[in-house]
Formats: sequence, structure tokens, C-alpha cells
Amino acid sequence: MAPRSLLDVDDLTPEEIARVLDRAVGFREALPSRDLLAGVPVLNLFFEASTRTATSFTLAEQRVGADIISFAPGASSLGKGETIADTALTLRGIGVRVIVVRHPESGFARRLADAFDGHVINAGDGTHAHPTQALLDLMTLRQEFGRFEGLRVAIVGDILHSRVARSNIVGMRALGIDVTLVGPPTLLPDAFAELGVRVERDLDALLPQLDAVMMLRIQRERISAGLLPALEDYTQRFQLNRARLRQLPDDAVILHPGPYNRGVELTDDVLDDPRSRYVAQVHNGVFVRMAVLDLLVNGAAVPV
Amino acid sequence: MKTLVKGGRLVDPVAGIDANRDVLIENGFVVQIAEHIGDGEARVVDADGAIVAPGFIDMHVHLREPGATQKETIAMGTAAAVAGGFTAVACMPNTEPALDAPAIVSEVLRRAEIAGLARVYPIGAITKGRAGQELAPYHLLADVGCVAFSDDGSTPRDARVLRNAARYAGDLPQCFISHCEDPDLKGAAVMNEGAASMRLGLEGSPGLAEDVIVARDLLIAADTGKAWHIAHVSTANSLELIRWARSRGVRVTCEVTPHHLVFLDDRFDDYRADSKVNPPLRDAHDREALRAAVLDGTIDAFASDHAPHPLEEKAQLLSCAPVGFSGLEVALGAYALALPELALDRFVMLASANPASILGVPGGTLDIGSIGDVTVFADRPWTVDARLFRSKGKNTPFDGMVLPRRAVATIVEGAVVFEYGQVLPREEVSA
Repeated sequence: MAPRSLLDVDDLTPEEIARVLDRAVGFREALPSRDLLAGVPVLNLFFEASTRTATSFTLAEQRVGADIISFAPGASSLGKGETIADTALTLRGIGVRVIVVRHPESGFARRLADAFDGHVINAGDGTHAHPTQALLDLMTLRQEFGRFEGLRVAIVGDILHSRVARSNIVGMRALGIDVTLVGPPTLLPDAFAELGVRVERDLDALLPQLDAVMMLRIQRERISAGLLPALEDYTQRFQLNRARLRQLPDDAVILHPGPYNRGVELTDDVLDDPRSRYVAQVHNGVFVRMAVLDLLVNGAAVPV
Repeated sequence: MKTLVKGGRLVDPVAGIDANRDVLIENGFVVQIAEHIGDGEARVVDADGAIVAPGFIDMHVHLREPGATQKETIAMGTAAAVAGGFTAVACMPNTEPALDAPAIVSEVLRRAEIAGLARVYPIGAITKGRAGQELAPYHLLADVGCVAFSDDGSTPRDARVLRNAARYAGDLPQCFISHCEDPDLKGAAVMNEGAASMRLGLEGSPGLAEDVIVARDLLIAADTGKAWHIAHVSTANSLELIRWARSRGVRVTCEVTPHHLVFLDDRFDDYRADSKVNPPLRDAHDREALRAAVLDGTIDAFASDHAPHPLEEKAQLLSCAPVGFSGLEVALGAYALALPELALDRFVMLASANPASILGVPGGTLDIGSIGDVTVFADRPWTVDARLFRSKGKNTPFDGMVLPRRAVATIVEGAVVFEYGQVLPREEVSA
């Protein structure tokens, strides 16, 4: 039975992940008719600004024929007065069946899903999870390598504040990918090693061994928060640049969840490098989101 | 007025008694202890099959009055106390306004008197408004009945202020109580920092946040000679620091809560705030250290940190929801759950004699001439149902759990205030 909601990648079994990716590939090859979710009211509830994810979800919803409602309340309008439970009841009463939600607080999607009699798709909750991003990353990796088992992937940067990293850790581990996290201790505490991944500080030593490297965005506010010194200190150790590109095997790929800060976690050379898969990632995102909508609403029984 | 507690096993380590004894209380004081006492005039409390102990004192509760009666009232909080087997509670000063002036403290005591249930011992603030700057009037607060001083959850950031406070109040017997959490290390944390917080993407507070303030306050205690009490110790390192301070002759005591003895930081997968508390629930290493420290005597006292909130406030998002939960009505059972190997005489020391001694209040023994505060409890398993709490706060992480020990009857100054599951206001007040 398909899960009711997608709050993180571990709501899906490895078989369900494979099915979502298969279906997404099918959609990429030939768009489905627009009746997959015909008449299903889908609410895009974005408490936090989003360009790529909101756009990608909206296009995905259109392509499966859903009735789309988009609403971008201020981050503070929920959690103070009206409770999550009241909001969930109201939305269900209106007739909403699927909520695609993004919120700055970790766990918001879970709290909403626990109160909502319908489907919730987590489009990013705080620093916790961003499962559709992880699924599109997995789709891009599978497209590249045709397998997951034994792939060696490094995720580099601000792991502590990254919902993309967390969802990828969950998904990649479930699929047998060998995950190494790389970053300074303030952005990658040792305790991450207890999540079943390796924690490394030396990117240069690691690069030649990788099948894929995922570069996370570094936000400048980490400097004012006292977590990073001058950016030059960070880039000297962790930036993917021309010199480090030479260390990366020719058949490896570079992933980035975007938006990237040119000159910080990567240089322009990386974006121009033939191993960069950023465009493939965002392209795959629409089809993965179509497949997730289809799986949650129509279940696993619908033939591909 | 006479009250006879009959048929129980009297456990009074201060008096050196552990035997089946009847206890007769007259006019508020213990007048006779014997194997069999017959008294036709006395109100009899049946303690058959139960344990009779000097009244339990919970030295860390939040009664929320004045200022937050949507969370708790003195009447409901003291009803919860006696239902949980406590004859006395010490209430923290984080009220609105804070307990930093004699008139406010007197009003708390007046309301406790009207409630007519548990004794209430106010803890005065260390600084005005608990703001960490100006000193509170310790001698005036002591005169109206404050039994200790604490800024509760807002430890003074400025060590100079805390040092001067301890020096100025140095001639008073009232100890200083520290809630040890460094606000900078803690940040906006909602739980313990560890693998669980990393996995959940929640901001965690490291044990270090507690340890550095414990270290600082113990050094100020050493410097000033002030008697110090560390509230709700939650880390193994804090315990090591306390042992070190004692070895250096610092006058320091400490307490542990039921929730830190029972739970771990693995309770946030649902992102609900039911287990959100300060200091946060820690990992297994810390919890085992706490249990061991009760058994080896490092920890002096049990304290519930009863911190009631309305369900709707606790139902908010983790970041907005308040910290703490009701503790008085589960504490007794929770201590026994966490520490099945703890001998009864030690249990009574931690629940009664030691808190009495730390706070300098009567009780802690039922020897002839002592005040007639008695807790009768039994090892009869029961299932927690928070909806039935007398406290206004109906949430606890213990909800639904089976606890092995419970209060049977509670007697304050010879008056039976809890028996057969009923809270009974004292006759002379209600009449």
C-alpha cells in the first residue's frame, strides 16, 4: 500500500522509490494525459520563499491535471493563534486533498500530516527534510550510473542546516549508497557519524574516490553567527574549483541542490564542467514530483 | 484533634526506624509511636500494607501564581501535591511579577493558607525581576518566609552580580538554587544536542551548556562560602563537578527530576513538545550517570520540577511551545520506576529528610515531637491518566505509563488532606 504522505524519503520503501523513479522516467519520456489527478484539489502552502521548488511543483501539478490553489502565508501566521489541528480541519473542510507544504520549522510537515485527513507532501521543513529534492537527486544518479548499490557519494558543506543533506542521507543509505559527509565541525558535528555515514574533514583526499559529489550552498549568515571564519578559510578547504575538479574522476558527476553561490562553495568552472548535472537535476524534479503526486493519490496499483 | 496512622511499615531513617509502627499525631505533632496504638477519639488512617514516611517535600515546583493562572493556581498545584504524596512544596519565583518583594511572597503564602492543602515554601528571586542586574532584598524576603533564593530558568549572565548576591546574602541560612543553562550555548534549542537532534534537524542544547554554569556557580560558591543547591542535574559531567566541589569543602547539594531519570532524548520523532523541558532530556550515558548518582549518594534530593501548561500551549510548534510539564502526581511512581534497587530508607531521605534539611524547614522525620506531616504510600502499580490530574496542567510524558508506586494518604500537620483518591481540604480552614 502506498504511503498517505511523503514527509521524508523513508516514508517510501526502496521498492517504492524505484517505482517513483521508474514512473518519473516514463513521464520524462512521454507526458501523461492530464487526467491522473483530474479534479483533485492540491494546495501549495509555502510559508517560506521558494522559486525552484514552488515552480517545479506547480508545473508537476498542472501536468497531472490537479486543481491548484497556491497560498504563501507569512511564516508567523500559524503556530501562534490558530492551531495546526484547526488549520488542517479547515483545509479539509474546504475540500483540499493534497497539501504541498514548505515551512521554516523542522517537523512542520509531520505535525500537519498528523492532523490532516489527506495527503501531505513535504516541500522542505526547516533543516529537517526535503524528500522530493532527494528523489530527484537519486533519479539523476540512477540515470547516470544505472544502479545505487556501492556508489560512493560525498555531500560537502553546511550539513547541519541542510534538509537536502538529511533527506539524501536517509534515501542514499536505504539504497546502499556509500555516503561520506564533508565539512568543518561547526557545520558538520561528529554526531552525524552516528547516523550511519562517514564524517570527513579532508575533501582533497576524498575526491579521487568519488562517483558523485554534492555541493551544498554556504550561506553568508553562518559567518555572522560565528560558525565560520572568513569565507576564504572555508573555500581554501572545501570549495569545488578548478584545482579540485582535476582530482575528481572523469566519470564522476557533480550535483548541487541550488541555488548556488558562485565563488563560495563552487566556482564558475564547476558549472561549466561537463560532469555538472545541475540542469538534469531540476529537469528531473518536475517528473519526480508528478510521480509522487500520482503515487500518493492513486496508489501503487495504477499501471505505468 | 488526633490522627492515628495505623497498620503501616514506618520508614524513618532519621529516627532510625524501619518497622511496623502506628503513629499518633495530636494538635499537629507526633506524640506517640508504638506497635499498636488504640485511640477511640482519633481519626484513623488505614496504612495496612503501606509504607508510612515523614511527609515528602518537593523542593522544585512552579505554582504559576501570581501571573499565569491559565497554567496553574496555588489551590490546584497544592491539590496535585497532596494527591502525589507531597506534604510540602517549594515554589519557584518565575511568576509575574517575580517573587522578588515581600508583599508578593506574603500573597503567595496567603493563597496557600486559603487552599489548606500542602505547605508552600516560597523561593525568592536572586535579582529583581529575575533580570540578572539588581539584587533582591534577601533579608526582607527571608523575614516573610522565603526558604531559598533562585533566579530559576534565568541564571544571571553576569558572574559579578551572582557573586555579589551570594556575598550580600552570605549571613542568611537560605541557600542559592541554580538552574544551570548557559543561554548562549543553549541558543534556541528545543532538545538535547546529539545524534537525535542531528537526525531530526532540530536545534540541540549540549550538556556543556549546563556544565559550564554548574562549574561557574560552584566556583562562586567556593569563593563566597554560600550554601548552594544545583537544580535538576542532567549530565554526567555536572555530577563530576559537584563531586569535585564537595571534595574541596564547598557546601553544595543537588536534585534530580523524575523525567531525567526515566526518559532519553529519543522522544521527538513526532515533533511534538510534550517532552520539551529545560534542561532537556539527555542521552543514555547521562541518564545512567544520574541513576548511579542517586544510588551512590551524590544526588541529595528528588524534585519534580512540576511545570504545568495548558494543552493548547503545549500543542504549539516545538519552537513556540513552553518548556516543562506537570510532575507532582507522577513523581513518586517515576522515582520508583527509575530506581527499583533504591532502598526505602534512601528513598525517604531523598524525598523528605534531605529536602527539609537543604531548605531548613520542619519535617523529614516522624520522631516524637516532630510536625505531623506524613506520606503514606504503597507499591501498587497504576496507570497514569493525565486527564485526571488535579493540576491544571494535564500533560506529562508519563501519560499512559504504568508506575509501580503511589501515594495512599497524605497528612499535613495532623490533617488528612488526601485519602482514598480524594483531596480533602483541611477542616479548620474549610469550616
